[in-house]
Amino acid sequence: MLTAVISPLKHHQLLIYSLRIAACVFLAIGSAHAEDDVDDRDLTGTIDQMLSDSWTAAGVTPAETCSDSVFVRRSYLDLVGRIPTVQEAETFLQDGRSDKRAQLIQVLTTSEDYAQHFADMFDALLMGRTSQRNYDERSKHQWRSYLERVFRENQSWNDVVAEILLARPASNDDRGAVWFLFERKEKHQEIAEAVAPAFFGIRIDCAQCHDHMSAHEIEQAHYWGLVAFFNRSKNVHTKNGPRISEDAIGGFSEFANLEGDSSPNLLTFFKSVTIAEERPDKDAKPEDKDDLYVPAGLDGDPRVPRFSRREKFVDEIVSDHPLIARAFVNRIWAMLMGRGIVHPFDEMDSVHPPSHPELLDLLAEDFRKSDYNIRRLVQTIASTKAYQLGSVKPQGIDDPATFAWYLERPLTAEQIGRSMQLGVRGNFDNNSQIVQQVRQSIRDVMPKENVATVKDALFLTNNAAVNNFINESNDKNHLTLRTLNLGSPQQQAELLFQTIFGRQPDSEEVETVASYLMQNQASQMDRIKQVIWSLITSAEFRFNH
Amino acid sequence: MKTSRSNTATDGCGSPEHDVHRRLFLQGYLAAGAASIASYSGLFSVPTIADEVKRHGKKCILLWLCGAPSQFETWDPKPGTPTSGPFGAISTNLPGVKISQLMPKCATMMDKLAVIRSMKTEPSEHFQGIDVLTRGDKPRPPFVRPILGSVIAEQLGQLDSPVPQFVLLDPCPEGNEFKAFKAGNWAGWLGAEYGPVRAGGEYSIPDILRPENLTETDHSDREALRKFFSRKFQNEQRSEAAASYNAAFERVRGLMSCAPLFDLKNLPEDDRQRYGLGAFAQHALQARHLIENGSTFVMVANGMPWDNHVFQHEMHQMLVPELDNVIYQLVTDLHLRGMLDDTLVIAMGEFGRTPWLNEARGRDHYPNAWSMAMAGAGIKGGTVFGATDEHGIDVAENEVDNRRLFATIFRALGISHQEEYVLPGLPTFQRVEGDTKPINEILV
Repeated sequence: MLTAVISPLKHHQLLIYSLRIAACVFLAIGSAHAEDDVDDRDLTGTIDQMLSDSWTAAGVTPAETCSDSVFVRRSYLDLVGRIPTVQEAETFLQDGRSDKRAQLIQVLTTSEDYAQHFADMFDALLMGRTSQRNYDERSKHQWRSYLERVFRENQSWNDVVAEILLARPASNDDRGAVWFLFERKEKHQEIAEAVAPAFFGIRIDCAQCHDHMSAHEIEQAHYWGLVAFFNRSKNVHTKNGPRISEDAIGGFSEFANLEGDSSPNLLTFFKSVTIAEERPDKDAKPEDKDDLYVPAGLDGDPRVPRFSRREKFVDEIVSDHPLIARAFVNRIWAMLMGRGIVHPFDEMDSVHPPSHPELLDLLAEDFRKSDYNIRRLVQTIASTKAYQLGSVKPQGIDDPATFAWYLERPLTAEQIGRSMQLGVRGNFDNNSQIVQQVRQSIRDVMPKENVATVKDALFLTNNAAVNNFINESNDKNHLTLRTLNLGSPQQQAELLFQTIFGRQPDSEEVETVASYLMQNQASQMDRIKQVIWSLITSAEFRFNH
Repeated sequence: MKTSRSNTATDGCGSPEHDVHRRLFLQGYLAAGAASIASYSGLFSVPTIADEVKRHGKKCILLWLCGAPSQFETWDPKPGTPTSGPFGAISTNLPGVKISQLMPKCATMMDKLAVIRSMKTEPSEHFQGIDVLTRGDKPRPPFVRPILGSVIAEQLGQLDSPVPQFVLLDPCPEGNEFKAFKAGNWAGWLGAEYGPVRAGGEYSIPDILRPENLTETDHSDREALRKFFSRKFQNEQRSEAAASYNAAFERVRGLMSCAPLFDLKNLPEDDRQRYGLGAFAQHALQARHLIENGSTFVMVANGMPWDNHVFQHEMHQMLVPELDNVIYQLVTDLHLRGMLDDTLVIAMGEFGRTPWLNEARGRDHYPNAWSMAMAGAGIKGGTVFGATDEHGIDVAENEVDNRRLFATIFRALGISHQEEYVLPGLPTFQRVEGDTKPINEILV
């Protein structure tokens, strides 16, 4: 299974070493953005100042800055979706440069693993968890590679949103973008209910039957308006692959509220305009004529209506809609800081006010000004002092929305699967069986609350996936044999802790491991495997902190 | 052992086992030179929580007759009228009360049952009917009312019990609208921890069995190691997330210890014969077994078999006798075991069936006048409440809607039906809405 791997690890290590020679390797990756058009150090400083002011105002003393060994594990997990190797961590700890954290952030966010990790995250956030069969479909139809490219080439998020929602690829290389709509199989309400949180950061589901009961600004007309932008769309199979066609007629209906009053489904959406469109009389039967269409730009693609609702949506509603930037910066903030400035990150309505409104405004405004530069935003937030605080909650503070300490968060399935491989076997494959298996069981990504389930504990304890993975790690390069071949239990404990937790064990931990291993020399290998299991199922491994 | 608890201030779950175990663990290390392998293993192997104290709380079994049975072929026969089917009515041990001839066993124990013959509810489609009759009320979007089992698990369940408190025994993956309903949110605003554990047939609790290639000793030893490292992290980080994570692992071995409860093969052969070998009967027996061993609410279903729009008489001729026997065996067993006073048994569907037949000789959905039965905790046996008119077309007296039924169920279990759910920043809900009165006539 590991033979066909593209070896992202090697790729990544190469990057590290080449960066030591030339500090601007990232330019070679082909960024879609000029990196120096706005001074992001100013922005980082402003963010820290704003948070610092809010702590002063609230009488809060934040946690101390985290240690380098904590920072290296944390930033690898958050930025490239896996723990660092012992060598990577060591390289960082030995680095004497005063700006080595900034340097590491730069290296990580320009690596292939960054593209993979962010593709994982956005696949889960935009599309949701699914069966392995559907994951294979997402790969086959290039949704996965499309997402990877977005982050690898650092495409403007505003353009990405337009490509996904218009779903009319300019070239066959962009065809993966159609899959967001295609996978939802012409279920237009489902599409509307997915578009709103994915790109606008709001949930509109309950506005189907009535205006939102608590967030009054979300109206039933927005729900049915959003549906109407997509309700002429159909899935079609063309010689170019899956495409979304669009009719020039139809899609007019009335929706009724709980009092039974009817309203027409006008082309409108939240905080935006209503697009003018001629509505035929109720009994009229408009004819679908060829002259209502123009040919597609790409030979073989479905014809395009002269009046295209999707196109109107993208051009007149989505483009530079204030929520596009706000939702995105809030989401990246939530990914890196453990909680959105608006929490939950996809319910940015009047019921959920931002904890730091000016900060949110600032980030959104800067994001727009930078032409929706994703990498710059990630680097900016990761460079803040706030991101680099210790993860132990200071005494006397309870409100996580202060961001006065690093909020611990569970690893995603992909982070677990990759990190397990890396720890136990020394390399990893992003699509290996263990990643697939863990992903089917541990499905949460950025959960609202950290509530562990017994189901997950049972999975990690008894499921064949994790057990077999450890049991079948019998190669001489694997942690099992490398541990077995060491002379003393002290050394064994040290290797295990350093590899899996990225730190040295304390004396109590050494004693515990040693006492267990020494009890039965005959079953050393089995015992080492039990210790490995106990470490990778421990909370210290399960969370980023 | 528990008296030796000390220094548990930083111990998140408050359980003394961890500290005791850890102390033994460290002693084991210190004495390692002398300890034999066997005794050392003993130190690692945590005893399972098999002898968990069983609380004498009220419990409930819902025989969920999904699809909706006919009242005419069960509790409210109309012999000699145009709406009667081919089956007759028989006398029962309650003077003057007759039920369908398809229920001869229940006829001998009507003194233990309370039958409501005057159910009148609104929804006439399955999904909405199931919603109203399992949650107690219509939806009030966007809020999702918790299902009966979730409310009872939350109110009466033992959260620290290794045995799941709300179990849905439903071997059938299908069931039309019930299938869709099963995919929905059952626990509603109470939160997923009060949702059901689904078992029965092919369904079992995933990953509840120890991997075959791992010995019991290794399994518990490595968990002891995990717990030691993970608790240390939890304490040093003062981590709430780690505390929740470790608490989940605390439940693993307890749940594993009750895996045999979910294996039908472990039920006594005589009992299995006595209940009957059909899936519904076997799972009703399993429900008894689960209740005896610490579950609080068990819902027994078998897909949606009662929706007999076609050949209703033939279908009911198969289904009703099985139901008759199941109710009889279950209520009798609970009575003989001294559990009936604490265990409420409910048998109902989501509505009744039409007095007239359709062209396929089926009876269609009919919420206007139907029947259901209860026995056990808080219920006065030997009562028949309400009545329908001559042909069973409408309720003639003492109409009971879903709210009144739920108020009665809650009251029977000692749960306030008027308690308010307070959801921060949102409208207030009563457990049963409106100024609803339980049916005192059938309550003890």
